[in-house]
Amino acid sequence: MAEYFGSRVEDIFNTMPERFQPENVAGVDVRIGYSVTGEGGGKWVVTIKDQKLNVEKVEELPKCSVVLLAEAEAFVGGALGVVNLQDAMAAGKLKVDGDITILGNVLPKAFTPFVPVIRAKDIIDSMPARFLPEKAEGVSMKIGYDLTGQDGGKWTVVVDNGSCTIKDGLDSDCTVVMSMEADVFVGLNTGKISASSAFSAGQVKIDGDIGAAGATAQFFKKFEIASDDKKGEELISISVVNSINQRFATGPYMGKWFAGLKEKKFYASKCPVCGRTLIPPREVCANCRVRATEFVEVGPKGTVNVIDLVYYASPDPLTGKVRSTPYAVLYMSMDNGTPDEMFSHELNPKDIDRVKSGSRVRPVWNEIRTGGIDDLLYFEIDD
Amino acid sequence: MAKRKNRNVAIVGIGQTEYSSHKEHQNQPEMLNEAVRAALADANMTLDDIDCIVHGNMELFEMMHQPDMWHTLGSGAFGKPQFRITTGGTTGSTIVCAADNLVASGMYDVVMAIGFQKLQEGNTTGGITNMADPLWFRHLQTGALTGTTAELMIHEFGEERAKRAAMLYRIMMDKHACLNPKAHRRLGLDYSQIEDLMNSPKLVGELRLIHMCSQSDGACALIFASEEKAKKYTDKPVWVRDHITIHREESLPNIFALNRPEMTHRYAARKLFERNGITDPVEYFDVFEMYDPSAWWAVDWLREFFLLKGDEHIRMLENGEWDYGGKVVINPSGGVIASNPIGATAIARVAEAALQVRGDAGPHQIPKEVKHALASGFGGTMWTVLIMLEKYLDW
Repeated sequence: MAEYFGSRVEDIFNTMPERFQPENVAGVDVRIGYSVTGEGGGKWVVTIKDQKLNVEKVEELPKCSVVLLAEAEAFVGGALGVVNLQDAMAAGKLKVDGDITILGNVLPKAFTPFVPVIRAKDIIDSMPARFLPEKAEGVSMKIGYDLTGQDGGKWTVVVDNGSCTIKDGLDSDCTVVMSMEADVFVGLNTGKISASSAFSAGQVKIDGDIGAAGATAQFFKKFEIASDDKKGEELISISVVNSINQRFATGPYMGKWFAGLKEKKFYASKCPVCGRTLIPPREVCANCRVRATEFVEVGPKGTVNVIDLVYYASPDPLTGKVRSTPYAVLYMSMDNGTPDEMFSHELNPKDIDRVKSGSRVRPVWNEIRTGGIDDLLYFEIDD
Repeated sequence: MAKRKNRNVAIVGIGQTEYSSHKEHQNQPEMLNEAVRAALADANMTLDDIDCIVHGNMELFEMMHQPDMWHTLGSGAFGKPQFRITTGGTTGSTIVCAADNLVASGMYDVVMAIGFQKLQEGNTTGGITNMADPLWFRHLQTGALTGTTAELMIHEFGEERAKRAAMLYRIMMDKHACLNPKAHRRLGLDYSQIEDLMNSPKLVGELRLIHMCSQSDGACALIFASEEKAKKYTDKPVWVRDHITIHREESLPNIFALNRPEMTHRYAARKLFERNGITDPVEYFDVFEMYDPSAWWAVDWLREFFLLKGDEHIRMLENGEWDYGGKVVINPSGGVIASNPIGATAIARVAEAALQVRGDAGPHQIPKEVKHALASGFGGTMWTVLIMLEKYLDW
């Protein structure tokens, strides 16, 4: 089975049920298709609905909310965080067909991050490195492992004269042979299954010298996850989440602006030299370098000049929440305003498909207005 | 006429880390130290030779205030005068201007400027959005992402030609980055992929993921010396001829208005070239290291920086005049689309331009003599810094 960075494509799907966080996906109803090319690839459908998860390997993808097409190496590397997803996308190794925002908005909440699956062979292979020769002085024995089921196999661990080697297959003269399902073996070594319950449930079968079987534990250091990767290094990342309550004074110009919003009015300041209307109002016309002391009412309707249609799901720095996408930011020429300066605000999402430069728009106000940014909900097409 | 400098100043030491998406193996002072050591080695100096240090980045990204204090062990500023400068995206060029001014004024003989950023330790788009005023515009801003330039270029040059120009530029930058072992993103793109790359995921309007710059970690240090000291330490000084900084009122609504002001890039270039007697910048400069956050902006801005008209900038792109062998090579380093450690980005433009002048750029060296180099910084809503470097003291 093809492995990339020590993991397989199927590992990512097989571990989804245990990584699923149903409490984070209330109200989510999506079907995500995966088409992974290359060795070990295939097609999978992941459905999240009613806080339930269904993961299925399929021959053909049905209609999905979004489909992720990836090369196997980029897919596994991305899941492990060793391949930069943006770079993989830019290089065409990862493509997204459909609503890309689902990948950014839903997946990080729905699943805990993927960590490499530990297989029986990983544990067997690590035994020489974990061997404690001083504990096995004068000992000479052969320990056979007959591990059945997926990712199983047969190995012989040879302890002889202070050394430890691994051989494929079972030698005929093993001191003891331990037989069990490969996943029981992994569970015992990673601490997920207790030895006493495994023995009493009959999950482990021992042929030969039972005493020798018990002695093996003391010849080896305990198996530690990823202990080999960071050997000799102490590289630790410290996570910090900042949450700071802040208050910003408006001053009299922006104070007038917010007071105006309460009354559904837009107040601009006006330059006494060039006549430019500044919206929201500012104390000084920076072109003429003079005080703009006069206020004029502009709008409330306007004409769209430039539109920014945003697909990128960015965090709202005021709330920390990820904005839902797509959304449109308008740069509008307000009625009675001068053409030197546009007013910028969001568009009602329902109008995204028909807005264009030149569209007439009107403001939509919040029922409850407190003199804040939420007083104005958005603009919508005026027809 | 340019204001004459009190005395001539040269770049005598250049140090850069590799730029990459992660630097888990180093903390911030360690990352700075890598660039500082490289610059000192390049200048045949030790810390004892440095009179003063100028340190800069954008604090919002790592949320670390006065990082110069923590970084002292890496920067080597212990027991030395140090200035801390942060001016957004232009930080890297502002520390260059400051170091140049400090030496030219006669205050110090040798000054080291250090720019850095570890974007992986914070949130880039959140940090940039927090630059907008908290009373109103922060609510609406999406980091540095905007599709308006693409929209305006499509309107002016037609959809097919405009989209093709942006992608030609993008692929040219990747080809340059692939020659630069320090560049972060080296994707191996080819011109045969133009059509396919146009389906890259959309960010804002026609600004797609492939067009946009990376988020990188890295540091860059430059050492500036007076003419007398420069000649003592190196036989390849790179002279800082002149620089200009232009700020505009911090407001997108007037940049995207029906009546638009002259872009700060064009204004800065016009003023700088006028006072240095440069009438044809395309003929004059051999290389331009441009702060190009996206392929759309880059193409559009070439017209502004070189005071071109109509579609001259696009025709030059289509004819390979901005590439190796052309009139002015743009970003032989791969530019900002390839590597963008923001506080180091603009100083890295100067570092790369200086390497080209010296002939020491390695695999991405322009294969002809580079006498005149230009480097830009960009930040804020529309802020411009332009820095001119010369091989010979003959202007």
